[in-house]
Amino acid sequence: MFLHQIINGVTLGSIYALIALGYTLVYGILLMINFAHSEIFMIGAYIGLALIYFSGVYLQSKPIIFLLLIFLVSMSLIGCLGVLVERIAYRPLRHAPRLAPLLSAIGVSIILQNLIMVGVSAQSLPYPDVFPIKRYTFYGFNISSLQIFIITQSIILLIILHLFIHKTKLGRAMRACSQDMYISNLMGIDVNKVVAITFFVGGGLGAAAGILNGMYYGSIKYNMGFIPGIKAFTAAVLGGIGNIKGAVVGGYLLGIIESIGAGYLPAEYKDMIAFIILILVLIFKPTGIFGEQIVQKT
Amino acid sequence: MRINGKSKILLVLWMISLGWFVGCGKVEKAGVTKEEEVKIALAGPLTGDIAAMGQGMSNACKMAIDDANASLKLKGIRLEFLPVDDRADPQEAVTIANQLISDQKVIGVIGHLNSGCSIPASKVYHQKKIVMITPASTNPGLTLQGFKNVFRVCTTDDVQGSFAADLVYKKLGLKKVSIIHDKTPYGQGLAEEFKKQFTANGGNPLSFDGINIGDKDFKALLIKINANKPEAIYFGGVYSECGLIAKQAKEIGFSGTIITGDGVFSPEYIKIGGKATENNIITMVGSPPEKLPLAAEFIKRYKKKYPNVDIQPYDAYTYEATNILIDAISHVGTDKNAIIDYICDVEYKGILGTTSFDEKGDTLNRIITAYIVKDGKFEVLK
Repeated sequence: MFLHQIINGVTLGSIYALIALGYTLVYGILLMINFAHSEIFMIGAYIGLALIYFSGVYLQSKPIIFLLLIFLVSMSLIGCLGVLVERIAYRPLRHAPRLAPLLSAIGVSIILQNLIMVGVSAQSLPYPDVFPIKRYTFYGFNISSLQIFIITQSIILLIILHLFIHKTKLGRAMRACSQDMYISNLMGIDVNKVVAITFFVGGGLGAAAGILNGMYYGSIKYNMGFIPGIKAFTAAVLGGIGNIKGAVVGGYLLGIIESIGAGYLPAEYKDMIAFIILILVLIFKPTGIFGEQIVQKT
Repeated sequence: MRINGKSKILLVLWMISLGWFVGCGKVEKAGVTKEEEVKIALAGPLTGDIAAMGQGMSNACKMAIDDANASLKLKGIRLEFLPVDDRADPQEAVTIANQLISDQKVIGVIGHLNSGCSIPASKVYHQKKIVMITPASTNPGLTLQGFKNVFRVCTTDDVQGSFAADLVYKKLGLKKVSIIHDKTPYGQGLAEEFKKQFTANGGNPLSFDGINIGDKDFKALLIKINANKPEAIYFGGVYSECGLIAKQAKEIGFSGTIITGDGVFSPEYIKIGGKATENNIITMVGSPPEKLPLAAEFIKRYKKKYPNVDIQPYDAYTYEATNILIDAISHVGTDKNAIIDYICDVEYKGILGTTSFDEKGDTLNRIITAYIVKDGKFEVLK
């Protein structure tokens, strides 16, 4: 049972880590918390669902290619949505006091949620099984093919992200901007482009998490982003917000702690665990696990 | 803001249209002074997680009101249908209950669906002696408050919970059972009644856990429960959570049966839970509608009126509740106290058979039917 809960926690953690990256990437560069990110995640799940229906029979005959296509298309669409949100709601406020973009983010979040509620459905929509789910049992714990899919999918995405940030020119520009946006600008980096790329990447990862979440739980709803969003935010804070490695480690850690906690405490306290962690981290180690001292940027 | 030419035209058009609408309203009012207009409110979750059930109630209530208006049975009284949304939220239910009692034209309320909403809302209706007939709230506590204006046409959880416990323990012979509930007055109440009767039969439930409404991830809990290898899980709650529980239980390797109550008896359950709902057992209040000739007729007409909608389990009850209220209005007119007195002694022959109420306001029609999911459909369990 313990191992089973760990597997569960790792699956949950993979999803948290992907969402947490969206928070952390944006925070690393703009020092703002993009509260609309949980809605980006939610819309990702809806676009994924639309594409799954759209591909219909083809998905059954060529699952690998179509699954890849579904992920790529919805990730790029949602990436573009992220860029759009930044362009409309955050860029005009980039030099405003920090509270302004935060409020703008909450506004965007409400708008996106209501758009889906009114435009699509106010009820839960079932998410179809994309491939037949098999269970494998080893030494007393079992893991399903879906869990393996979610874990590998997220690890592949994390590796791609790592390579992107450390091996490409754009990645270097992103790292430069996160150190000092003003000087980066003086060095000839197009800051607006870097910010747009950041939102694109963060949104794309959020969309992937949304589809994985939908496939894992089998139903999606317009307000599904809220709780995972806050938990992923907790994961980002736990790892040290702004730190990419921190978001990943924080995500997996939170997933595992939550699963084990829910397995041994009464089930209704499950959601509380994440928030207790958030409070404890904020009190005792506000910089998180990988916390470097926060450089005060002006 | 500078108003340009186009905006001016639009503004003028808007004002004209506004004036026209107001004018129309006056003309219409002048035309129907002879008929008395009263409103029947339908209160239920028209949006939210269990909106499918609430919308079904709304459809059924509207159908009963349309029937009555068309039949001209009510001389000089015109019924107006007023659907209000409580979002399955007790706070919202009280808010809308207060709105309804301040509306002089509201003569009675059909609703609410969730016991958690019905109980606080009934206190509000009681202040103004507005009759409330719930088609679906099954928590016994609702009618134990001693309110004369509160009636229900469905059987209560104590009957249903003990029926399920007898079914599981005696008929199916399942002794290792875990219980889950959703912490609402309905879900927890039903689960507790089940537990009480199950223990009285000599059984000993393996566990008794609550979950949070709206949660999507029950795997940690299910793994914990499954470690004791239960033969069955009894769930007290509604279909949105139960569908996910069924699905996730299968995924973590649970191989037993899931047994639940009327809150899950909806086609939506099978849509959400998919194949994992196969062979699960659901208890539902009342006889199967197929066995009641008038109910079959109702289903036929319902499908004709709302062709693209799946009929929901409480639609027949809502139709019945609305008709009982309409029957009262047709006999005693629009006096609120007279309506309550009339319903107290009513013997209404409708689509569910004969309905009459005991001194608490509960229906005396106390049949429970067990259904099993076979090939994605509910079938009566033999």
